[in-house]
Amino acid sequence: MTNAAISATADPSLDAGEPAGEAHSLTSDAWRLLRRRPIFWVSAGLILLFLLMAIAPGLFTNTSPTAAVLKESRATPSTENWFGRDVQGYDIYARTIYGARASIMVGVLATLFTTLLGALLGIVAGFAGGWVDTLISRITDVFFAIPLLLGGILFMSTFQSDVNTSYFVIVMKVVLVLALLGWPSITRLMRSSVLQVKPNDYVQAARALGASPWRIIRQHILPNAMAPVIVVSTINLGVYIAVEATLSYLGIGLTPPAISWGVAISAAQSGLRSAPHMLLFPAMFLSLAVLAFIMLGDAVRDAFDPKTR
Amino acid sequence: MRGTARTVALASISAAALMITACGGGDSGSGNSASGSGEAKSGGAVTVRGCNPENPLVPANTNETCGGNVLDAIGARLVHYNTDTAAPEMDVAESIETSDNQNFTVKIKKGYKFSDGTEIKAKNFVDAWNWAAYGPNGNLNAYFFEPIEGYADTQSEDPDEDGPKTAPAPKAKEMSGLKVVDDSTFTIKTSTKVSNLPVRLGYTVFNPLPDSFFSDPKAFGEKPVLAGPFKVESWKKNSEIVLTKNENYSGKFGSKLDKVTFKIYQDAAAAYNDVVANNLDVTDEIPDEGLSGDTYKKDLPDRFVERDEGVFQSISFPSSKSDKSYDNPELRHAISMGIDRDTIIKQIFNGTRKPATGWVSPVVDGYKAGACGEYCTYDKAKAKAAFDKAGGYSGKLTLSYNGDSSHKGWTEAVCNSVKDALGVDCVATPVVDFSTFRAQINDRKMKGMFRTGWQMDYPSIENFLTPLYATGASSNDSDYSNPEFDKKLKDAAAETDAAKANQYYQEAEQMLAADMPVIPTWYGHRIFGFSDKVDNVKITPFGTYDFGSLTTK
Repeated sequence: MTNAAISATADPSLDAGEPAGEAHSLTSDAWRLLRRRPIFWVSAGLILLFLLMAIAPGLFTNTSPTAAVLKESRATPSTENWFGRDVQGYDIYARTIYGARASIMVGVLATLFTTLLGALLGIVAGFAGGWVDTLISRITDVFFAIPLLLGGILFMSTFQSDVNTSYFVIVMKVVLVLALLGWPSITRLMRSSVLQVKPNDYVQAARALGASPWRIIRQHILPNAMAPVIVVSTINLGVYIAVEATLSYLGIGLTPPAISWGVAISAAQSGLRSAPHMLLFPAMFLSLAVLAFIMLGDAVRDAFDPKTR
Repeated sequence: MRGTARTVALASISAAALMITACGGGDSGSGNSASGSGEAKSGGAVTVRGCNPENPLVPANTNETCGGNVLDAIGARLVHYNTDTAAPEMDVAESIETSDNQNFTVKIKKGYKFSDGTEIKAKNFVDAWNWAAYGPNGNLNAYFFEPIEGYADTQSEDPDEDGPKTAPAPKAKEMSGLKVVDDSTFTIKTSTKVSNLPVRLGYTVFNPLPDSFFSDPKAFGEKPVLAGPFKVESWKKNSEIVLTKNENYSGKFGSKLDKVTFKIYQDAAAAYNDVVANNLDVTDEIPDEGLSGDTYKKDLPDRFVERDEGVFQSISFPSSKSDKSYDNPELRHAISMGIDRDTIIKQIFNGTRKPATGWVSPVVDGYKAGACGEYCTYDKAKAKAAFDKAGGYSGKLTLSYNGDSSHKGWTEAVCNSVKDALGVDCVATPVVDFSTFRAQINDRKMKGMFRTGWQMDYPSIENFLTPLYATGASSNDSDYSNPEFDKKLKDAAAETDAAKANQYYQEAEQMLAADMPVIPTWYGHRIFGFSDKVDNVKITPFGTYDFGSLTTK
């Protein structure tokens, strides 16, 4: 099974033409299922769009996000300014496009770090067992007890950014706090997943053949235990974007002159009644981005979970 | 000490919600709009927005409006400021006389009583002022006594600031310039000539204190006994302060109301919503949500009043000790002319400021418009020409502000405006909080421009000039020094004719235009909202409640 799984994953293009009855890996089955779900294509399309915005905002707008026309402060949407202008007279459309970068960067990097750290510790704990497992599990419990938002506020107000802090450092601080507080759930998930895979025959066989622990983990355990982590991480990505917006809204996440949706939402609250469009557009983009990642995670989970088939 | 107290004055301006109750006012000609013209009705109870006093209610130690508003209602001083014009009027004082602006004789009215029924005597003033000025008592408002002879002897320097060593006891416990002549007379001698001393005597710190205060200042702070139209009935911490009519009130600035309740709010928006819903009678603060797009005019039709208040906001240049790059006056003029004050006020402040045309607030006696002239008028072309003539600026202009209150919007707008006019990059940079911000300025470590604000302590043109621009003055943040300017101030202080003194002050103000030590930005303007249960709502020139006119319907 393991060999079949690897070969099938390596060459999914063959899948379609293969006769029924051929052994399929979990991954290839999942992919087959995913391809048929419109929700997957919608969310993937949205995510691609947001990624493109983050990488090359210049493709979407020629307006500089820092060009202020104060005289037209709070201007409502028009053909000239599609989304209107905010309090400072910045073009909201340009601000929203440029704001994607911070959110996507925080989401992707935080997910990357939590997944790497969480998966690594989870594998070590699950595979080694014994006192290593106990130690890692207790440390996980300690971090698990800190609420994300409370810890975030504490961290960000202890290490405040000032104007000389570079954009990258500001973003990395938010990423760091999310990584620091987000890894325990992944660790727990990975650990239980490894514990489930470990007693399987193919693992025992590999061990009997004298494979090194590193090889067993890489070749047998990781491919079979990774699915739930991937699913949860995808969903978490959306959550992290929302948390970044929350911290920025509270004035402690990303700070101006960094442009982000959370900062824009925070700045728009004074005009809630007189100029609601200032709030509407960044909030809409934020919701869409979070929704896209959560939908993707949902679709991936359905595809990976045999019980839902 | 002085610096600290002034600092708080600036803090309160910045915090907007915590306006210092400095004394002041003056004829603004801005029209004091009283609401309604209904029949004044006697009696009744009103609720007004209050906030948590920072300190116990002791006049010498209260320099923010939360406590100051209460002390204004319950206190009576030698001088009372007219609620329309801020002109000083005799209250407890029968007369304050001087022939040389240095020796003053104060006669107080006989039979004027504290709320506990004891009569006010000359020694109640002298003792209270000596207690307030005495260094070891650590009062925030002690610096107000600086002009009085012998003040320096009541202070002592702590050898290691906050270190373990304690300050030595001062040379004297009392100021030599204060002398009781008899029960109703005392004299004040100042160390230099002060032409406007009587105007200053209406500030909170100059309240007389009853003998009972000195035996137990702590109990007094909870339930003060003063001589004003109201007395404190109860003070529920974090909830409300209830004032009732002082039956023993002997002055002529009484109120028609029987009861005033300061309901304590943490958030101006909550108070505003309560006023809209008629659950609160008056709020002295309209939150951003209400100001934005003039929402308050829709929420409270015919239920708001507004007037100018004695606040001057400015952008200061760094002292040459910390940053020499702004020393060229040509560059300063260029930056000032590059600020589009009208648009910023309209769009960021929703019209709740007035563009500054000089360095003195319009509400004070002696104000003359236009001292700053063309330098305070937005003109892109002229600004750019002056900027080029000054040789440009290498690097980024920075404008620092304290990040703990709402200055982000306007500083960013000012920077955008300057950037647009001069073509040089300008960044609005927050400093964590107000105390850090002031510390950087006071230690002369601040680089680049920074925001400053001044709320008048007393209604005089002098208060907007001497403490801010005289050489070595306590709040001269830019270390401005001009011998001619100093001389004009001295001449004015020695002048016995008020009109002549004002003229000297105006000439001094005019001198600032050429050197531009700070850029005038705008003057304060205040809006009150009120419920449909009250009438005759008025704002004093200090931006505070006027209980003398407020009535129920």
